[in-house]
Amino acid sequence: MLYRQRTLETPHGDLETPVLFPVSNVGKRSSDNTPAYADQIPDLRTAMVNARAIRQREPQWERLLDGSSLRQEMGVPDDTIVFADSGGFDFHTETLDTTPEKTLETQIRIDADVFGTVDLPLSREDRQAKNQRRINESIQYALAASDAHEGDSLLFASVHGHDPETVRNSIRYLDRHGDFDGFALGSLVPIRTDYRKTTKLILAARLATDKPLHVYGLGGLVYQPLLLYLGVDTFDSSSFIRSAGNRNYLIPGFGGREMHRIEGLEYLPCPCPVCGPRTTEAVRADRNLLVQHNLWALTIELRRFRYMIAAGEDIESYLELRFQGNDVTHRAYRMAKQQVRRLA
Amino acid sequence: MSNTQFTITDQQRDYSQFGLSENPFPYSPVPDDDPAVYCGQEHATREISETVSTVLSTGKSKHLVITAKYGNGKSHTLKYTRSLIRDRSDVIVGYVAQPGEGFHDIYQEFIYDLGFDRIQRLAYEYLAVLSCEVTEFEPTGPDEMQRLIDDGEILLSELIPEAIRRLNEITAFADFARAMLHMVYEDTNLYAWQWLTADGIRYEQRKQMEIHSALDDDTSSVRAFTALKNLVVELGYTGIFLFIDEFESISRLSPKDKQTTLNSIRHLMDQNSHGLCVLFGCAPEVWQDVMSEYHAFSERIGKEVALKPLSDENLRYLVRSYLELARESGEETLAPFGEDGLNVVLQYSQGNIRQALSICSQTLDQAVEQDLDVIDAAFVEAQISNRS
Repeated sequence: MLYRQRTLETPHGDLETPVLFPVSNVGKRSSDNTPAYADQIPDLRTAMVNARAIRQREPQWERLLDGSSLRQEMGVPDDTIVFADSGGFDFHTETLDTTPEKTLETQIRIDADVFGTVDLPLSREDRQAKNQRRINESIQYALAASDAHEGDSLLFASVHGHDPETVRNSIRYLDRHGDFDGFALGSLVPIRTDYRKTTKLILAARLATDKPLHVYGLGGLVYQPLLLYLGVDTFDSSSFIRSAGNRNYLIPGFGGREMHRIEGLEYLPCPCPVCGPRTTEAVRADRNLLVQHNLWALTIELRRFRYMIAAGEDIESYLELRFQGNDVTHRAYRMAKQQVRRLA
Repeated sequence: MSNTQFTITDQQRDYSQFGLSENPFPYSPVPDDDPAVYCGQEHATREISETVSTVLSTGKSKHLVITAKYGNGKSHTLKYTRSLIRDRSDVIVGYVAQPGEGFHDIYQEFIYDLGFDRIQRLAYEYLAVLSCEVTEFEPTGPDEMQRLIDDGEILLSELIPEAIRRLNEITAFADFARAMLHMVYEDTNLYAWQWLTADGIRYEQRKQMEIHSALDDDTSSVRAFTALKNLVVELGYTGIFLFIDEFESISRLSPKDKQTTLNSIRHLMDQNSHGLCVLFGCAPEVWQDVMSEYHAFSERIGKEVALKPLSDENLRYLVRSYLELARESGEETLAPFGEDGLNVVLQYSQGNIRQALSICSQTLDQAVEQDLDVIDAAFVEAQISNRS
């Protein structure tokens, strides 16, 4: 197992890893979809924001320029640790409309703690030549950000590649030629159902450097234990919002279940502060409650894993049990285990 | 292990009474991959040397066919020649045990003989040469190139697009260029290897490497072989040596397939006026047929050299050379074989090397069993009559 715990120093305080950065859609048109959670979930003083989206939402950006703080805009405590990515995921379909310097300026302005460099995600459908070009451009943007970056915020170089060789090579190249506090692996969401490939890429990244590794977009219920097992330090997820949008109720160990399929049950099985005191009907009727519960589900997943480590339990046995209910994820875990053991 | 009929043991025979550490003759007289002994056939060695040396010195293509009856040393000669040039750093050498059903099979066997590691090293070697041109690094070979990539000194995403573009120009075969370069990616190198060996891969695997064609017939195999030759010449090698043994087995093919195979080899030779040397081993009667029926093919092969049966002198040299391999004292003698014993060996084998070696091997074992001092004519004759 490659699981590890670390403490990263950030301008807004120490960050104990492994940790989840819940995606906040501040700046997006659907900004209000992210309910306040920082006060309710004490160990979730983190947020992942999209620097490009914030800058592009003019009234909000004006307010930020006028002195308002991002944390106020988000309604989160001042000590919330914010990871601001470049909004690279949008560059799947949209043209790149920023520069490393402009993104850095935005990240500084919103007082983020971790900066993700400008990146161009890959697509399976694109020709290899195009993907190679995008990989290369992302690397050059990262190096430009490294040159321009000053201050205490952590700079994570965004890295892409759909083969382990490229991921390893890119990280080591960046490590050698730039000054980065960590690396963030992207382009995995489109291939997330290919577990073998995804875990191989994560492993390649994890073993290419000892610096902190973030994985973009895979911090949902299914992947989270795998990421922890593979030693990923930080990860983000918007699955709690998206699932709630589809009226899906997340249950650690089981994944998502559509609320309309849950019948004849007065209370839900989750003991979280959202579900514990409320009836099934109350949770079903309020989308915000569903989002909050889903975020609790992600947190509980992480807490469980941490507990198993702290209690000295055999993690591999725990994960065997954990993935037992689903053939696909069970196979995925077994593949990850094989890959990790081959390295041991 | 024994019962009333069998006595099976792993105890080794003791050959020390003859000053030998073991029986040096092969029990099954098939040539070693790296034969240690070669004797006689001065006219053949002259022709082979001349052919090989011409290619090495001028880079111009030259081909030769070696004919001999079964058991007279065609495979041995080819393998011995191969062992002499295989270790040279300026050539690529591949051995094809028999031509199979056509050039597609020849190509496949050739690539298999080179092996995965060799092909992968060629890919890294190409990247090393390119790196000297397009980066600040000057890797001296494949190992250093691999290290530069592994250590992140050189950026793959910068190098590979240029490598594909240039290799495409060199080989004039875009799919081959992609497959070669995919040999450096751990995720796809097995697919690339499968494609390069013409084993056939699934469409999805080809798609992953952006390879559009399948390497599944003689024409595409000739193209791939030529592409490989162009690559190795670009890398500074003098060329490729292709050894095709048991060429006589093309006589099994239907007239159409035989024609196709010979045409494909002819095309290969025509497309590669430089950097290619093909040495064939073929039974004389089949080669005669090829000569008379397929002029276009046979005319492209410069020469034919026929291996002769062993002479009396050759046999003595052969036996002495084999005995030397196991001789503990280092002496150069024929003992325990007596002169008259070897005369019988020659007489019975009629100069056929395979038969001669087989008799020597058997009689030596029997001489140990029977605690003899000398293997004389009577003993050899007795053993031969026991065999029959």
